[in-house]
Amino acid sequence: MSDAYLRFWGVRGSYSAPFESHLGVGGNTSCVEIRVDDHVLVCDAGTGIIPLGNQLMGQSDIRKLLIILTHYHWDHICGLPFFVPAFVPDWNINFFGPGQCDQEIKEHVSAQMQAPYFPVGTETWLANIDYLQPAEDQLINYGPLSFNYQNVHHPGTTYGYRVNVKGKTVIYVSDNECLYLGKSIDRQYEELNEEEKLLYDEMKKEEYAAELDLVRGADILIHDAQYTPEDYEKKRGWGHSCYIDTVNIAIEAGVKELYLYHHDPNYNDDAMEEIYQHSLSIIREKKSSLKCHIAKEGLIVSLD
Amino acid sequence: METDSPSVVVIDDSPSIKTLFEAGLRDSNLELKVFNSAENSLDYLKQHKPGLLFLNIKMPGKDGLTFLKELRHLPLHKDTSVVMISSKDYAQDRSVAEKLGALDFITKPMPIQVITDVINKYLQPSSSN
Ligand SMILES: [Zn+2]
Ligand SMILES: [Zn+2]
Repeated sequence: MSDAYLRFWGVRGSYSAPFESHLGVGGNTSCVEIRVDDHVLVCDAGTGIIPLGNQLMGQSDIRKLLIILTHYHWDHICGLPFFVPAFVPDWNINFFGPGQCDQEIKEHVSAQMQAPYFPVGTETWLANIDYLQPAEDQLINYGPLSFNYQNVHHPGTTYGYRVNVKGKTVIYVSDNECLYLGKSIDRQYEELNEEEKLLYDEMKKEEYAAELDLVRGADILIHDAQYTPEDYEKKRGWGHSCYIDTVNIAIEAGVKELYLYHHDPNYNDDAMEEIYQHSLSIIREKKSSLKCHIAKEGLIVSLD
Repeated sequence: METDSPSVVVIDDSPSIKTLFEAGLRDSNLELKVFNSAENSLDYLKQHKPGLLFLNIKMPGKDGLTFLKELRHLPLHKDTSVVMISSKDYAQDRSVAEKLGALDFITKPMPIQVITDVINKYLQPSSSN
């Protein structure tokens, strides 16, 4: 195994899907490990972080890691109460996520482990736990890794992360309803007068450019692709993207490799295969060199 | 508080937002000041209390709701009239905005008339200098 890689430990959005028909893709919720030698950066702490924690316990050379959270919805934090390294004294665990200061991040992380929702609180975590301060320039260094973050389109404050690792750029945007304003404008276009049409045509272009900027330069993009177009119509405004938009944005932004992520728990392996084949056909039609994959639990991608 | 404060302050990263508000304020003589980020508005807002502050939510740098929470800690802005103006239309954002004392939450794309109406509704004549 190479000394720099990323591994998908959980690829579902919303809630876990431990159903036989889904296990080809995987049932755990959001968690991606980025590893460079003995440095471990974990993106999100859904149920996928539980098996990651169990595996780390067996690796005697690693006793520290940094967990970066996109936001505090349950599918991104619900593995933490069962993350074994947090309960073991010789571990050092850092957290980062949305919040005005380290104390607010701590409050958000701790809130789910309070009675009556969980029998023990984070005060039973015996590891050395630190919460990082937000950086003025939104850039944080962690050993050989560095990352910055920016706001994405999802309820509450939600971050997308741009991680620099060994000269490569990995962009992790687990939850983002891309092109939402443009779609709202399209729906209301005929109700607008000429002056408003001109104005909102401009805003639509601005939003499109911002979506491209968010993912531009990615060697690897891991992006929300939760819905089919049919389901997106029903769940518009829930904070997630239609996979077709995700693929098109990745193509236009010149992303090298795209991992469709945060899969809907209602989609079984056959449904995911359909999404994959359709994505490939979009890429072929556009004669794009984008490499597209379905993020699957257990999949390891070399970063060397 | 300085006496020459503009009545309407807008914080939004969209370059087109100024055009929208200029159109909305066309028939009034209210002053307008626009900032493209929360960070860029802070020096100004430490000194000035607008009659009405429009705040976008999803922006580069600090998002509008996080910024509003910070503003509420400044004595000058404890009760500043704030209206959220966002393309995000999520119940979670609406509830946070309400808790932070935002008067209203309007979603893009709104007709220009909505801007005019909201300003007329919330801008108190006494605070419009
Ligand atoms: Zn999620
Ligand atoms: Zn979420």
